[in-house]
Amino acid sequence: MRQSAPVARAPAIPQLAARRLLGAVFRSYALRRVLKAALTIYLVATLTFFIVRLMPGNPVDVYIHTLISQYGFTYDDAANQAAALFAFNPNEPLLVQYWAYLRALARGDFGMSLVSPGTPVTSVIMTYLPWTLFSAGLGLLISFLLGIMLGMVMAYRREGVLDHLLTAVGSFFQSVPNYLVAIVIVVFFGVQLGWLPITEMRGAYSPGMQPGLNLAFISDALYHAALPILTYVLTTIGAWMLLMKSSTLSTLEEDYVTVARARGLRDGRIMRSYVGRNAVLPLFTQMAISAGFVVGGSVVIEKIFVYQGIGFILLDAINRRDYPVMQGIFLIITFAVVAANLLADLLYSRLDPRIRVSGGE
Amino acid sequence: MAAWQRSSASNGTPAPVLSVRNLEVRYFTRAGTVQAVRDVSFDLHAGESIALIGESGCGKTTLGLALLRLLPKGARIVDGEIRYRRRNGQVIDVLQLDQEEIRRFRWQECAMVFQGALNALNPVLRVWDQMLDTARAHAALSRDEVRERSERLLRMVQLEPERVLNAYPHELSGGMRQRVMIAMSLLLDPQIIIYDEPTTALDILTQRAIIEVLRSLRDQLDFSMLFISHDLPLAAELADRVATMYAGKIIEVGDVREIFYNPRHPYTLGLIKAVPPIVGELYDISSIPGTPPNLIEPPSGCSFHPRCPYARERCAREVPPLYEVGSLHTSACHYWQEVKLERQVVETGD
Repeated sequence: MRQSAPVARAPAIPQLAARRLLGAVFRSYALRRVLKAALTIYLVATLTFFIVRLMPGNPVDVYIHTLISQYGFTYDDAANQAAALFAFNPNEPLLVQYWAYLRALARGDFGMSLVSPGTPVTSVIMTYLPWTLFSAGLGLLISFLLGIMLGMVMAYRREGVLDHLLTAVGSFFQSVPNYLVAIVIVVFFGVQLGWLPITEMRGAYSPGMQPGLNLAFISDALYHAALPILTYVLTTIGAWMLLMKSSTLSTLEEDYVTVARARGLRDGRIMRSYVGRNAVLPLFTQMAISAGFVVGGSVVIEKIFVYQGIGFILLDAINRRDYPVMQGIFLIITFAVVAANLLADLLYSRLDPRIRVSGGE
Repeated sequence: MAAWQRSSASNGTPAPVLSVRNLEVRYFTRAGTVQAVRDVSFDLHAGESIALIGESGCGKTTLGLALLRLLPKGARIVDGEIRYRRRNGQVIDVLQLDQEEIRRFRWQECAMVFQGALNALNPVLRVWDQMLDTARAHAALSRDEVRERSERLLRMVQLEPERVLNAYPHELSGGMRQRVMIAMSLLLDPQIIIYDEPTTALDILTQRAIIEVLRSLRDQLDFSMLFISHDLPLAAELADRVATMYAGKIIEVGDVREIFYNPRHPYTLGLIKAVPPIVGELYDISSIPGTPPNLIEPPSGCSFHPRCPYARERCAREVPPLYEVGSLHTSACHYWQEVKLERQVVETGD
């Protein structure tokens, strides 16, 4: 056993270099994160591919059979049609298909829509996704910023009237599902009381508006997005407030806050750089998860307000069994969740110097 | 500002920098009112170093925090006076300062280094930023001036300024962080620095190093020191005078040698006997029986009587005043004359 040791200890030069490179990759926090994210996306894409194809009665077979039985296609014609729509050839071996699928994905090619032939899935996504990002993203941002500010106020005035009031309101809205809030807005404020012109506020922007980066269009877009945004803010702000409150309370107990006071720092400085900055750190993980779900988590809300975002079109695709669109949207949702987590990790490492020093510490 | 001029002592001895009179601090808790500091009076003179000694929970840290009015929520100074003499001779009452005045008072006039060095610095800011923060909160110093001062002080506490200033707290060891805090405490040249168990939670060698640093700083710079500790021998190395605290009261004050060789309160005696000497004569090592008293309902009479081997019936009845037991040596014990440290020379074989 002992004799073999010297042999193992003398690696070839290129091997050593490779190992060193690998070591450098592993030590770099950012690089490790990016690799992890890429791996996750690859795995999900692979899984999507095999699940769709290997399921008994998979959408491709269903489509081919529909063509044969309803439209009198021959099997070959139907298979060709399906291949064009799903962007793959069902007669090729699975691995070849898989390779072609991956290459298409890498080019950003998700195939064609079944329901509106000739429309690439990519263009469907590109048309609707920006509106979801705009409304849900803005909703998340407003909710987060407002939530951490209110949470800090609650922590600083704990046991005060404002604290009790906000805690009650926050817990209430946190426990009400967002679609219920949306329905209440539509039914009560829109229909019963007639305070809101619900029909006029439908859609992503008013018909006849020219999309562009001008004030008129942006304010119109905001007008149409207002109700979804309001719903997102109302239903998520409670969680941010309560999280920030408890995080601030525990930060206020930290020695360095007492020491900062002993050092005679001004209250504003202590609140911002000593309490706030440390208290908000644990919320970033939560923020990352939420940011990922911005893309996919708005299906019902967009349906209720008839807001043409990605969730609206996903529901539409499910109803019409438009598999390529569904597959494309699911991949985009995965991508968003992974990318948001990656972004948050990198951001977190910028904000918390303790993370910056690689994983080891 | 409710400050008042006082004709400072005309009798030769300069007026003290800090003069605490009849200070009372209470914690208002659900279980009851905790009398954390009771009727505490002492004077701290310019350049002097007082060690405040006592068990955990005897109120010494509370006293330190009260001096800076940094008491946590639920605690209040209910009575007493804290008079502070500025460098220009003006005497102010710390308890009368408004929010902005007390903020300026902290660190610039009286700094405090806490126990638990590990978490005293903000983890997300570099040491340099925290130095700058501290300076900027008080004085209109330029970056260069702050830099120059910080570097000089860090060198005095045996740290490499370039490395430390650019470091985040987690990149420094516990001992280094405490040195940073010590350097920072001197940044604004305060007249008084309170060191609250600055060596607790550090290993024995680091403790030693910190004590050496403090000793050399005292030789080089001009500040008064209040050293809070439960470790009598350690405190004795730095202190000119020792004040023993028990159950929120100061029960014995005296010159460090007096206290060490001639303690006149059974509790101080107990503290001395609880620590084995490394060199010199060995006496009976013994711990003080019993536990520290409940400060919600402190024992009647002398608070120490339930644990005191000298206690008699009178002790439970009558609160002992601080008796004059020697020159500048006071003890709150009715039977101080009987209290004596018996030293036995241990026979060493040959």
